[in-house]
Order: sequence, then C-alpha cells, then structure tokens
Amino acid sequence: MAHTRPRHSAAGTQFLDPAVLGRIGNLELLARTVVDGFLTGLHRSPYLGFSMDFAEHRPYMPGDDIRRIDWKLYARTDRHYIKLFEADTNANFSVLLDLSSSMSYGSHSLTKLDYARYLAACLAYFSNKQRDRVGLVTFDHEVVDYVPPSMKHLDTILHTLDRATAGRPGSLAEPILRITEMLSRKGILVVISDFYEEPDAVLKALGPLRARGHDVIVFHVMDPYELEFPFEEASGFEDLETGEQIPVIPGKLRSDYLTMVNAHLEALEKRFTDNQIDYRLLNTSKPLDAALFEYLLSRERMSKAR
Amino acid sequence: MSLAFLVPLFLLGVAGVVIPIVVHLTRRQRRNVVHFPSLMFLEKIPYQEQRRRRIQHWFLLSLRALALALVVAAFARPFFDQSSGAALGSGGPREIVVLLDRSYSMEIDDQIEQARDAAEGIFADLGPLDRASLVTFSRGAEVVVRSTSDRSRLRGALDTLTAGSGATRYGPALKVAQTILEESTLALGEVYLLSDFQRNGWTGDEGVSLPPGSSLLPIEIGTEREPDNLMVADVSLPRQIVAGRERITPTARVVRRGGEAPTTVSVSLDLDGQEIQTREVTLAPNSAQPVQFQPFTLSQPHTTGTVRLDDNALGADNAHHFVVSPGSSLSVLIVNGAGGSSDPSLYLRGALEISDDGRFEVRTRRSSTIRPVDLDGAAAVFINDVQLDGGSAERLRSFVEEGGGVLVALGQDGGWPASAADMLPGTIGSIQDRLQGRGGTLGYLDYEHPIFEVFSGPRSGDFTGARFYRARDFTPSDSAAVIARFDDGSVALAEVRLGRGRVLLWTTSLDSFWNDLALQPVYLPFVHRLAEHLGGRTEALPWFVAGQVVDLADPDALETAGLVSSEAAGLAEGLDQIALSPTGGNVPLPAGDGPRYLPLEEHGFYTVRQPGTDPDRPFVIAVNVDLEESNLGRVEPDELVLQIEAPTVVDDGSPRLTQAVELQREDQERRQSLWRWLLVAALALFILETVISNWVSRRTTGAAGAVAG
Repeated sequence: MAHTRPRHSAAGTQFLDPAVLGRIGNLELLARTVVDGFLTGLHRSPYLGFSMDFAEHRPYMPGDDIRRIDWKLYARTDRHYIKLFEADTNANFSVLLDLSSSMSYGSHSLTKLDYARYLAACLAYFSNKQRDRVGLVTFDHEVVDYVPPSMKHLDTILHTLDRATAGRPGSLAEPILRITEMLSRKGILVVISDFYEEPDAVLKALGPLRARGHDVIVFHVMDPYELEFPFEEASGFEDLETGEQIPVIPGKLRSDYLTMVNAHLEALEKRFTDNQIDYRLLNTSKPLDAALFEYLLSRERMSKAR
Repeated sequence: MSLAFLVPLFLLGVAGVVIPIVVHLTRRQRRNVVHFPSLMFLEKIPYQEQRRRRIQHWFLLSLRALALALVVAAFARPFFDQSSGAALGSGGPREIVVLLDRSYSMEIDDQIEQARDAAEGIFADLGPLDRASLVTFSRGAEVVVRSTSDRSRLRGALDTLTAGSGATRYGPALKVAQTILEESTLALGEVYLLSDFQRNGWTGDEGVSLPPGSSLLPIEIGTEREPDNLMVADVSLPRQIVAGRERITPTARVVRRGGEAPTTVSVSLDLDGQEIQTREVTLAPNSAQPVQFQPFTLSQPHTTGTVRLDDNALGADNAHHFVVSPGSSLSVLIVNGAGGSSDPSLYLRGALEISDDGRFEVRTRRSSTIRPVDLDGAAAVFINDVQLDGGSAERLRSFVEEGGGVLVALGQDGGWPASAADMLPGTIGSIQDRLQGRGGTLGYLDYEHPIFEVFSGPRSGDFTGARFYRARDFTPSDSAAVIARFDDGSVALAEVRLGRGRVLLWTTSLDSFWNDLALQPVYLPFVHRLAEHLGGRTEALPWFVAGQVVDLADPDALETAGLVSSEAAGLAEGLDQIALSPTGGNVPLPAGDGPRYLPLEEHGFYTVRQPGTDPDRPFVIAVNVDLEESNLGRVEPDELVLQIEAPTVVDDGSPRLTQAVELQREDQERRQSLWRWLLVAALALFILETVISNWVSRRTTGAAGAVAG
C-alpha cells in the first residue's frame, strides 16, 4: 500500500511526531510550529501559489490557453502575449472537517479527530499565511459549525477546531450538499474525513462541490489499527457510530478485513482521481508535517499541470 | 502380556476429557469490548458462529485432555497382565510353601547351600499366578516370606539364610504350612520340605493334616550315608572343697555315632578362652568314652569353659560350653531342746554336714529361745522338736517375712506358741500313733515341688521304705499347700508362704524315734533339698540348650542361669541391659516392669551387661546345641509323607479360582504400580500446559492492552 506510506522526499527535513504535537495544547502554536518549521526546512517555497497578481508577459505559443491571451496588449502591439500571474492572495480556502463518532477512534495517543484538527489548523495557518481567505466547516450528519472564509477568521477557525468533538453519527451527502450551498464562491476545499461510506456514495456526496468548480482536496484519515487490524483476542467489536456490537475473532477475519479495506481505499483513490479530486490517505501514526509536505508537493504538481 | 485395568469402571472418567472442550465452547466470552470506528467492513465478512468456537490452541487442548486421561487411567489402576492361559490350564494357581530346614545338622557338607539352591529352583518355576511362602524351621518354625508372587523377595530372603543352632522338628513347620494353605484362596497347595530328614525330628504324632488339594513334596538334602560324627555329649562338673577352695574336676563324655574303624580324637578344655588341657581318646564306631581332666580351682565368678573336639562332620556339637561360679555355703540354724540326754538333731546335723562341696554351714542352738543374733546370716532354720516361746516365734516371723525359711519338725517335745499360730500352715493337733502292721508310709509326694522334684525320676530316691509310727495330727489352713501325705491321708509335710519366705511343717520327727526315715538313703538328699528350699537356693545350670529362653527379670531364673544372688537381684531390679550373642549380635534388654526374655538361639556364650560398660567378669550364659540333632539317622521321606494324612485334590469350583485370579491381578498391579507414573506424567503435563497457556495468554493480553490504550 504505497499510498499509506508518506514519501519523505525532502531529505533532511525533521518531521514532527504526531504524539509530540498532541502535547501542544494551543492549536495556533501547533500550526505555527508545524508550518514554520516546515517552511524553514524547505528553505524556499516551491509553490508559487494561486495569486492573481500579474507577474509577466510572454509570447503566445501554440497550445497555450487562448483565454490567457492579453487582448489589451494585443490591441496595442498587435502581438499575442500570454499574461502570467504571480500569486492569488485572495483565494477562498475552506476546511471541511468530519466530526462523526468514528473520527474519535485512536489506537494510540492521538485520535483521528486530533490528527484531523491539527491538519486543519496547519492548513488554515499555512493558507492564511499565504494571504488566502480561510474558512472552516465541521459536520457529522449535518453541519455543526461554519466559519466563512476570511482573512481574519484564522483565530475563529482555530478556536472552533479546538472545541470540536466527535460524538454523533456522520454522513457525507446531506452536510456536503448544505456546504455546497453555503460556499457559493469557488475556492479550495479540503475535506478531512475517514469516509466510512461506499466509494460511490462518497463521490456522489462530493460531486456537487466539484461541480461548483471548487478545487477539492481529500484527506482520508485512518488509524494504523484500521489499516492493519492487528487485534488477536476474540472480542466484541462495537461500532462507534451505531453502537452495534458483534463478536469478532480478529485472527480469522484479518485477511478478509484487510482485503476489503484495501479495496475500499483503492476504489476511493480511483474515483477521486478520475474526478480530478486530489486524494491523500493519512496514517495518524505518520508525522503531520510530512503529510503537509506531500500535500504541497501534489498541489504543485497539479498547478504545473494546469 | 497385555494391558489390563484393576478397576476398569473408572475408565468412564475418560468422558471427562471433553470437559476442557465444553468449557472452551460454553464459557462466557470475556467482556472485552473493542470500540472500532465502523463495523462497515467487518459486517460484510460472512460471519460464522463456529469461528468463535473454533479451537485455536489444539496443542493446549491436547495436553489438557491427555493429562485428564492419564489421571483417569491412574484411577483405573492399570497393569500389564502377565498371567497366561498355561497357568490356568495346568489346574490353576498354586499356593506353594517351602519348608527349609536350618537346623545345625544342615551345615554338614554345605547342605544349607544345597537347600537354598533347591528353594531357588522352586521359586524360579513359579507360574505367574502362583504364590509362594518361605518358612525356615529347626525346633520352631519362622515364616520368612508369606504368600507372595514376588520372586525377588523370595530370593532375597534365601540369600541371608544360614544354618542355626536348633534341632530339627518337622511338626511346627508342617503346622505353619497347614495354616498358610488353609488361609490361602488358591485352589492348589504344594508343600516342599527341604531337609536332611533326621529321624529325631519326627515323632509321628504331630497331628498335621494338610488341606484338600495340597500335597507334600519332600526334597532330600545331603547324602544318604550316615556320616561319622563325634560329639561332646555331656560334661559333669563335680566340686570339692580342698583347703577351703573350690575345685572342679571336669569330666566330658565323648560319643561317636557311625564310623567304621576306631579313631583317636583330641579333646581339649578351655577355661576363660584359654586352652588348659588336652586329652587323647580313642573311640570305636558307635561308642562313648569319658574324658576326665585335671581339676582346676574355681576362684572367679562366671568362669567360662569349653570342652572341644577336633573338627569332624558336624561342627556344632564338637564343643560343649559351660559357665561355673564359686558356690556359697548356705547357713543353716538347727534349734532343738536343751533338755534330754539324746540329741534330736544328730541325724539332721550329720546329713547337712555331709557334702563334698561344703554347701551347708550348720549351727546348732540348744534352747527354746532364739536370739536375734542367732538369725544373723542364717538362710534356713530347723525348729527340731522344741517348744519355742512367743518372742522367738515373732523373731522368726520377721526372719521369714524377709526371705528366710523355717521348718518346724514336731517330735515328742515339739510345739508352737499359740500367739504365733498364724505362721504355721495349719493347726497342730494331737499325737497319732500308727502301731498296726509295720506303721505308716508316705503315700503321696508332690513331685512337682522343688523338694521332691529331684526324686521324680526312676531310681532317684525311694521314700516308700521309710516307716512312720507316730505323727502329729495336723489340719492344714486354706493358704497352705500339702506337699506330702501319709498313706492314711494325714499330712506329713505342709508349706505356707509368709512374706518373702516360707514355713514348712513336718508332722513327725527328723530323728529315728517316730520313724526310720533317718535311716533311709533318701534321708540325706531329702534334708539337703529341705535346707536348700528353705534357704531359697536354686541350682545353677552350667549351660542351657539352644532354643531355651531366659527371663532376665526373674531373680530365680537368673540364679538358675548361674548369676550369683547379689548380682541377680541387681539385674532384676531393672537397669537397661544388653546381651551379646555368640556371633556378635546385640539383643537389647530395656528396663521395664515386664519380663525381659532373652531367647538363646545360638550356641556359645551370651554375655549380659549394661550398655556402655565393660565389666571384668560379666554375666555369661553358656548355650549348647540340642544333641538330639547329633543323631544323624534319617527317616525315609516317603514314610514321612505317608504319615501325614494324604489329602485328595478336590476342585471346589471356579469361584475360588476366580477369586485367586483376582488376587493375583491385584498383586501384579500393586507390584507394578503404574498409577504412580501416570499421576506423575499427568502432573508434568498440567505444569507444561500451565506454562504454555500463560505464555499464550500474555501474548494475547499484550495485543488487547494496545487496543485499550
């Protein structure tokens, strides 16, 4: 499962153990620690960003998007020039955080929700530092909290993340539909969830977001125990969302379980990729900044592709 | 050989093997709940109830089941049945009794070895269901091993067997065999008699009757011919007082049985372990010769002596042991009347003073009163035809109560003060004359009484020649014992015990006025016996015969054994003693209120002393073999078998046989004791299972702990 292993391509980068981050109570401090350290380690941002500021003109080359031809300059010079922008500091960046009960699971000191909150905080901090408007939507089977995207809402977001708890059953379709209505302006949407729904249902739920023209980035947060199922003793397994309990002999079910989980992950990745949704599987035992790093790399690749 | 179970019902317990499985399948699942984000995938997996109940650790389950099975098997008492059809087909299991003669005649030509070999052969041929007993016998019989099929025990008992010092007696051994066979549950009995079959051992009236189904199988040990045997049959030890010292002139009687030509043999005398004299004597076949040695002075108590012959066929009877101690004279006081010209004690005193060994020290007092000083050192007092005063009678009462002896002889002047009438064995009456015919005679004598015991044998003293013309009428009291009566039934001699002593009353005189007993040859030994009995003297035996028992708590017995009186009293008082047997064995004789029996089983000298002491002259008892055994004449074994009631083999049905087989199975199981090993193995398995399951549990708990975290 290559996607479960972060590719530590940045040699020499010191990644932070999620367990260490868990001991930092202040989310802003945590986000700053992660992001600043990450940027310092990176020396220079490899990513130019989505800024709309004009950078330069270059002659039109066959194959270039004709929508980017600066017609005003053409009027003056009678030549085709392509208009390049340096960065867009006013993009909307929203984090859609799943607070369903299943997110409260954690086999070690960090639950999936903790990990997701840290990730959300880091992304918000990072985006805010890039002068994006950052927003937050938390949801389970309905929208729990909504912080509209704004340059000034970072503190609110961090505060909201800080008191976010998982305790109710969750579903994607209903709250995402509601969020789609709320986020009228196109932007970058980061969905953080464990996606305990059928891949098709997940894609159907996220489809409206994509249809509205949002750039959707999906972070699939999974605990290592969910990925490896290392249980030995026969026990009663209780569903955190439904409370349902079934007796399980892990040794006998492990192979079947792993097969199904892997199939599920592969299906999700395939569906998202096919629909130009950036998909990342995050193992909560892996360093958070490594995840962030991978995310940025992928965004860079996406940007270049565009 | 097959595996069998003594209590197969316990095998039902094997059903208990399913207990671990049932426990596994039915026990409630531990409330170990794992909270999991979603059961989305788990619920999709086809769930089978059997999975939860599937046994994961087959090895552990196998260990538990095997351990339980071993416990059950142990309770069922398994054993390898070594019985075979052949044993049953030959008439059933046998109860075999081997009677092995270990009398001292068996030492001839190593006959005891031959007997042991024969017994081993019998035990080697035991069938798997047969049981055997080993009984050794000489004068008595001893069950060495009783009714077992354990051959090693039987062989072990044979290994330590040696010839003893006793004579052969078949009766006790056959009686023991009869008892064993009667108590046996086996149908067939066989008694093997391993002996040299000496004729002396069989009297013919032993009354042995073996039970039905049993047979007597004699096995003759040794050669048919009668060996040439020499023995010391007897040693006489007459004593003389020479210059105030005791001298003993030993005379041995050497007997030769068998033989074909005259032979000369050397006879030696050992005293205190040192050879003193040696004599040569020539004996014709089946003859006897006396051998007199030079007298020796006896000065030390418990002087041991042995008359010894050269080695010949039978060694045990070549030596004759004895123990002698210097004798002490018995002080006798004769009191008779002061008046009259004749001496009423003439015969009495004369008889007491006549002895070679000076055994009596006689004093005479002519007075009707006895002073305390007169009784000093006296052991016996003869009140001969005198009327004592009351004070003297009371002094005599004290004297008797302290162990002295008094004889009151009633003559013409004799009498007894009325104040002390209770001292006498009865009431003295008037004078009775027997003038008709030739007077009266003694019609009844108690030959079991010590006084007359020596006269019990033929030609050992004739009292019938004595005539009694006058005697006192006498009515014995209830506590008195009449020892002699006249032919008309009147009392002649009566005795009563008083304190530690005794009082005798002779109803006629001890002189020749009222009777002529004093003129009879029997008078002297009679008076001697009277004095010795009154003085409490017991004749010391220079030796005992193997098989006799001495009670070392009984002073009389000790005196008989030759212990001097003062030592006898001390020994009998009760200090711990130890007896060393001739072969060096220890026989502890702890102090106690009861008797202290010392069985004299070996020939030679037994030394008795206190533990941890080493006295110069310890108390020694000499023991000689029973010379009956020296007569090596044989009885025909078949003749002996015929004299025992011939039993007929009766098959009394299968239940007894079945019972016997059951007993045999039980015996086999007991000897094999497989159940012990099974329990040990089960315990080991339980421990192994515990260790493994703990290890498995720890491993599983580790994973569960991670879940909880």
